Amino acid sequence: MAYIIEQEVVKYVCTCGLLKPISKLYFCRYCLEVRCGFCVCHEVDSHFCEKCLENMPSAEARLKKNRCGNCLICPSCLLHLSVRAATVGPKNPEDPKATPRKVVYLHCLMCRWSSRDVGIPDQIAATGGWPERENVYNVRLSEIIEWYKSVVLLEKQQKLEKDKKKQRKYMSFTDKTGLTAEMIRKRIGLTEPPNPLLKTKAKPLEGAIAKEDVEELPDNIFTQPIKLNEITTVQQRLLQPEWQPVTVDKLFPIHKHLSVKQSLRCRSCEHNVSKPEFNPNSVRFKIQLFAYYHIPEIRIVTVEPLRAGQPAELLLKFINPTQHQTVVTILDLSSMPELIQDDKCSADTSTDDELKPIEKEPLSLSLTQSASLLHTTLSRQPSFTIKPRQTKQQVGADIEIPAANFVLPPRDDAAEFDDSGENYNFNDDPRLVKWRKSNKAVIKLQITPSTDLNLGDQVVVGFVMQHIYTNTIATSVEKDKEPQKCQHKIRVFLSLGNLLGSSE
Amino acid sequence: MEMRDVTYNKNDYVETASGNKVSKQTVLCGSQNIVLQGRVIVQPEAIIRGDLANVKTGRYCIISKEAVIRPPYKKFSKGVAFFPLTMGDNVYVGEKSIINAAVVGSYVYIGKNCVIGRRCILKDCCIIEDNTILAPETVVPPFTRYSGNPGVQIGQAPECQMDFMVDFTRSYYQHFVPAKLI
Repeated sequence: MAYIIEQEVVKYVCTCGLLKPISKLYFCRYCLEVRCGFCVCHEVDSHFCEKCLENMPSAEARLKKNRCGNCLICPSCLLHLSVRAATVGPKNPEDPKATPRKVVYLHCLMCRWSSRDVGIPDQIAATGGWPERENVYNVRLSEIIEWYKSVVLLEKQQKLEKDKKKQRKYMSFTDKTGLTAEMIRKRIGLTEPPNPLLKTKAKPLEGAIAKEDVEELPDNIFTQPIKLNEITTVQQRLLQPEWQPVTVDKLFPIHKHLSVKQSLRCRSCEHNVSKPEFNPNSVRFKIQLFAYYHIPEIRIVTVEPLRAGQPAELLLKFINPTQHQTVVTILDLSSMPELIQDDKCSADTSTDDELKPIEKEPLSLSLTQSASLLHTTLSRQPSFTIKPRQTKQQVGADIEIPAANFVLPPRDDAAEFDDSGENYNFNDDPRLVKWRKSNKAVIKLQITPSTDLNLGDQVVVGFVMQHIYTNTIATSVEKDKEPQKCQHKIRVFLSLGNLLGSSE
Repeated sequence: MEMRDVTYNKNDYVETASGNKVSKQTVLCGSQNIVLQGRVIVQPEAIIRGDLANVKTGRYCIISKEAVIRPPYKKFSKGVAFFPLTMGDNVYVGEKSIINAAVVGSYVYIGKNCVIGRRCILKDCCIIEDNTILAPETVVPPFTRYSGNPGVQIGQAPECQMDFMVDFTRSYYQHFVPAKLI
């Protein structure tokens, strides 16, 4: 339960060297490595509005400047605005037969701001149609953007012609200038239609002119008392950078920013580790290689009071989340040297040969493949791997490494409803395994906090958990193949609490 | 941390055939309008206002001590109307929280001392941290973490939030055991 709101006490070391709780880790089953949000490639899958939970195609999102067309937020407190209905008197009050009209206005349920405060006229229909404000500098801004685009294009063109002779290995693509499609066409040998932006030479831009005489400050600026209630905060001003209203009567509703659904991709093998479903309401995933489903979870059950130099008993619960039996061995931290990439995952001797090709699966696409496939690979961000860093975690206690290992049976969802007495014949070391039930086991470890620690210091212990990971990708492709098993090692650090004084 | 057993006095709770454990110290108004789908724990001094509108919870919901579940209302020109409140599966409601939402999705964690304003929509897999006040008619999208007064998004829930909540509510139910008489 530690992951929802409590502090994270059990942390695993990601391949990149960062300490993360298991909830934030992924397990790439192609590389057989742990990944975290820092060392994967984030990609935007879809844009959606958080309020109306509707998807928006990325082209439309770009056109609308990543804002929802229907939902508005309060310019005063930044929360959602709701539409409120009201009745007003009929158009001509003299006519006794006229019925009162129904109108709607925007209203913030948090700060009570309403569109009537700033004089936005009431609407008759509840579905949008709120007046949009034109930016007075719109023409000038679009001129500048056009100019900038043509300059970039020209520079790219010149650069391309310059090194046309030498074939470059990598190319950088920017979508903004429409060069991506051009490059692809060139690579697959199509002729290039001339770029419309190049044909029409952009007219040179008039530079901004500095003003000589500035308006004088009004005389009453030093004498008039400031009414703080009428002045906007910096946050409110910066929400509308085009207008930057100084007084509250110029606050206008703002279109809500869109959110994104993102998929994550392993940087070294380019397989997805997480891909959500398209629907913004959905909480399911198409691809979910979360570490929580692949790596045994460790929970602290109890720990005896920690006193410097005195051994304490630590009970840990191990949970096997996979459908395959695993064997967990606890090793010393020194058994997994840092920053060495080669033997992080040493396979069993029997499956050693089978495992190797999977570890380094080439994913480079040849040019003979279809243009659409090529397009997807090219438009993707160039992948670069993150170098592992040194883990800066001080360990404040010695741990007595048990000589024996223990077995964790596979997860069985039906076990919860099974009331029959379970008996296991796992030949457990009774000094190590204290309790077990279905896929869970509680083990006992002996720890001794170091004498160097001061009173009240956080006591952290670390060890390497080695478990057998059963890889099922090969079996899904070739039915008759046995699932591959490999020994996976991961470093784990546990924060056990503060050091207490010696018992009197 | 592994969860500890929480014991209760067997005489203080009513256990239904579907495994609901409802304390006798709760205020359940209009109990014919309250549907608890099974394996739901309602703790002492919680209030469920079934007399206002229907209240329906999913399986494995935990309503903590002194929480208030109250269907939302909407003002119309001719008065107010109450709307039913539905709650998904595996929802945890913390102590002293007031839920006025229209919909609470599944796998939602609501901390203690929260106020969920009227007609809020909490989507699946969201987290409302302790002491959050959500303004009325707020929509909380999936996989978000809300906090503060007024409640705003401060982060994201882990992608395996669904499994965490299933595991959490199930083990809470399993660890909620009657005290052994000595």
